[in-house]
Amino acid sequence: MRSLLRIILAAMLPLATISWARAQQEEETKPAAQGANEVEPLPEEYSCMFCHGREGTLAESDDTKHLVVTEEDLTRDIHWQKGLRCHDCHGGNPVLDAYVDHRDDPDFLGRVIASPADIAKSCGHCHSDLVFMRRFAPSSRTDQEAEYRTSGHGQRLETAREEHAKALEQFKEKGGEGEPPVFEAPHVATCVSCHGRHGILAVDDQNSPVYPTHVAETCATCHADKDLMAGLAFGDPPRPLGHDQYARWRESVHGKAMLDKGDLSAPTCNDCHGNHGAMPPGVDSVANACGTCHGKVAKLFAETAMKHKFEEQGLPGCAQCHGNHQTLTPTDEMLGMEKGGVCAECHKNKQYGATLAGAETARAMRSGLERLKREISEAEDKVEEAERLGMEVRGPRFDLRQAVDALTNARSMIHSFAAAPVEEALNEGLRVTAEVNERAASALAEHTSRRVWLAASLVPIGIVIVLLLLYIRTLPIPTK
Amino acid sequence: MSHAAHEDTPQGPRLPQRAWAFLFERLGLEVAQSLAAKKTVPIHRCAPFYFLGGMALFLFGVQIVTGILLSLYYKPSPDQAFESVRAIMTEVEYGWLIRSVHSWSANLLVGALFLHLLTTYMMRAYRPPREFTWFTGIALLALFMAFGFSGYLLPWNQLAFFASAVGTKIAGSVPVVGEKLLLLARGGENVTGDTLARFYALHVVVFPLVTFALLGVHLFLVQQHGMSIPDREARRHGGEEKVRSMPFVPHFLLRDMVGWYLALGLLAALAALFPWELGEKAEPFGSAPEGIKPEWYFLFMFQALKQLPPHVLGIEGEVVGVLFFAAVGLAVLAIPFLDVGERSRRVLNYCAVPWVAFIIVMTAWGWFPDHLRLSVLLGTGLSLGMLVLTFPFLDRGGPARRLVNVLGAVAVFIFIAVTAWELLV
Repeated sequence: MRSLLRIILAAMLPLATISWARAQQEEETKPAAQGANEVEPLPEEYSCMFCHGREGTLAESDDTKHLVVTEEDLTRDIHWQKGLRCHDCHGGNPVLDAYVDHRDDPDFLGRVIASPADIAKSCGHCHSDLVFMRRFAPSSRTDQEAEYRTSGHGQRLETAREEHAKALEQFKEKGGEGEPPVFEAPHVATCVSCHGRHGILAVDDQNSPVYPTHVAETCATCHADKDLMAGLAFGDPPRPLGHDQYARWRESVHGKAMLDKGDLSAPTCNDCHGNHGAMPPGVDSVANACGTCHGKVAKLFAETAMKHKFEEQGLPGCAQCHGNHQTLTPTDEMLGMEKGGVCAECHKNKQYGATLAGAETARAMRSGLERLKREISEAEDKVEEAERLGMEVRGPRFDLRQAVDALTNARSMIHSFAAAPVEEALNEGLRVTAEVNERAASALAEHTSRRVWLAASLVPIGIVIVLLLLYIRTLPIPTK
Repeated sequence: MSHAAHEDTPQGPRLPQRAWAFLFERLGLEVAQSLAAKKTVPIHRCAPFYFLGGMALFLFGVQIVTGILLSLYYKPSPDQAFESVRAIMTEVEYGWLIRSVHSWSANLLVGALFLHLLTTYMMRAYRPPREFTWFTGIALLALFMAFGFSGYLLPWNQLAFFASAVGTKIAGSVPVVGEKLLLLARGGENVTGDTLARFYALHVVVFPLVTFALLGVHLFLVQQHGMSIPDREARRHGGEEKVRSMPFVPHFLLRDMVGWYLALGLLAALAALFPWELGEKAEPFGSAPEGIKPEWYFLFMFQALKQLPPHVLGIEGEVVGVLFFAAVGLAVLAIPFLDVGERSRRVLNYCAVPWVAFIIVMTAWGWFPDHLRLSVLLGTGLSLGMLVLTFPFLDRGGPARRLVNVLGAVAVFIFIAVTAWELLV
């Protein structure tokens, strides 16, 4: 079968050459390509594209379809733009005059790197070489391949490889009769799954599948596939991997910030799981993952007895109250023992060793927050009223921000799970609010007093006017 | 009141009388006394219009007093101007009152001057030999508008900053000298701290000095030529000499004072109920805020210039507009020479009526660009005011009075209807 394919390909070569040349002529008669998308012409002696450059030159079967690489794909590829060509990854000799059937060429690596098991190694050939990579990007990372090997994806691949090696061993031990066991790579993400094969874009290109706004979608290509994820598990004891992470993240505060507001600093999959070394964070490292951005809160949590209790009970830190993929905007209602309060989940029924004293602390913190909110709202109303009346209350308006900051601070301090720090933050807010209230009230009083004084000043003015008019009446106008 | 008369009394004159006599003799107040005794004010239907000049003078006095008080705290630099005005409004005792009175009084002053100009035109008080009284009056009006323009920038707030940039840019579109004028006004290519410094110098030194000089000439001429009596009134009384008159002191002065006290009450009420806003501090490199507009007395020009197409007959629209307003200004100045007979007077009136209407409509439109109802309200309100002003010139029962009555009734109806519409809808 392969011999037949080779004969057909060899016979097609002259035909392909003619067809390529015609296509080139047609391209030349077209108007010049525009701007930055201008396609770099391929060198004349470059042979790969003769066959792989367009559909029709290769037999259109499932076996060969993926071998077609469009010129557009190739020229937008970051590697191509940096001067790398097909043979730099695939090996072989691309010079036309020296054409040989590359599959017979011992230097040709095409088939080798087509195997998922070897892709990371092949990419790592350059990307793990610091000296080589420095030529293109002085601060480029070179640990992606190493990281990949530690990832969930890399480990599954490694396990399969080890199992295959064991099977081979056993096959040899049994005398090597029959067909040796074939390595079947598991369906697992490799470099090309996320970055693409040909037409790989720079990671900071907005169209790149690994650009922050596309990362979740790219991961979801596999992780939202129910069939693909069926039977997969992680952790110890193993838990099903599931396939609804993307849908849940999309509804989360992070997903909305990233995709609806275009906030590129919002976390997507790789910010918590890592990218090349992608792995679900362990129960004890959830707080660290969240703490990458929520540093203050994570630090507070790390210093609490609660953290150790969580670890003892195998509870996943932040995620226990805030959820993981579907992390919703935290609200004050989450604090306390009432409906919607996450504290109640454990403290109400003394679950996981939670105490009733903790419930009281939660209640106290909640009522403190509500009080400060009420005070801020009242002060805000007063400042607004004074502003509406034309009084100058820019100072109190500015200070009110400090009260709001204190409220935010108090909300953070909740993660210390102690009443004192929260109370301290709340007191600062209450102090500022009281001052603002006082100044706004004094502005309102000033406004009232201005009116009173106006009325008072109009009385003497009015009296003088009346007296003048009366006096004028007594003055006879002399006749001329 | 003679010095010798008191010496005859056995006890001698009292202290105040002695002090007055002392000053009277040494300061030569006989001249002032004889001038005051000689000055009379005619009594006729248009006589209330004589109060407008005195009202403007009183408001100018308020400006001087409040201006001096403000200058004690104001700091004319871009870094400190806004903060110093804010401090005046919030920290200085009664600073808010002084600043609000200064701002309100400035506006009332320009309003009084506009009315003074209009009624002077209607009474034709510019007739010989009072041409120079008219010229100095027009110059004073221009000067007070310049006072307003320079004072507007001083708080260095966002609106004033960009309005001043637009205003000086318009000055820059004057042909030939425009570019130089722009550099002169701004003290550079852009509105900067240098502009603020020179606006301040103009506002508190140059303009006041020129105003005192012009005002001196204006008042001297008023004294010299006496009050002008409209032709119609003179005819009605059978000649100017037959029109009754009252002594300026104390009869007219006391009436003037009634007006001044009313103005004082109005200023106090406006300052207490509608304190002058401060706005946001100017950010020269920020984007221009929405709704930039100059003071209301420049608004008709600003709005008209905005409506002009980019090019009129191959000339830049703004240049055409500026030339047009300059021509109108010159024509107003030259009115004493243009009004040479019955026919030319009629032509002038035909031009003046649409011009006043144009100013009212453009001002209303500029003030409420997105509020048609309010524009109509303001337009009809002001037009109604103008109609009332014409009353003294019209014979009772005459056809012109009847027409004005009908127009007035229509305007009142529109005014009430639009007010109700504005309040209810």
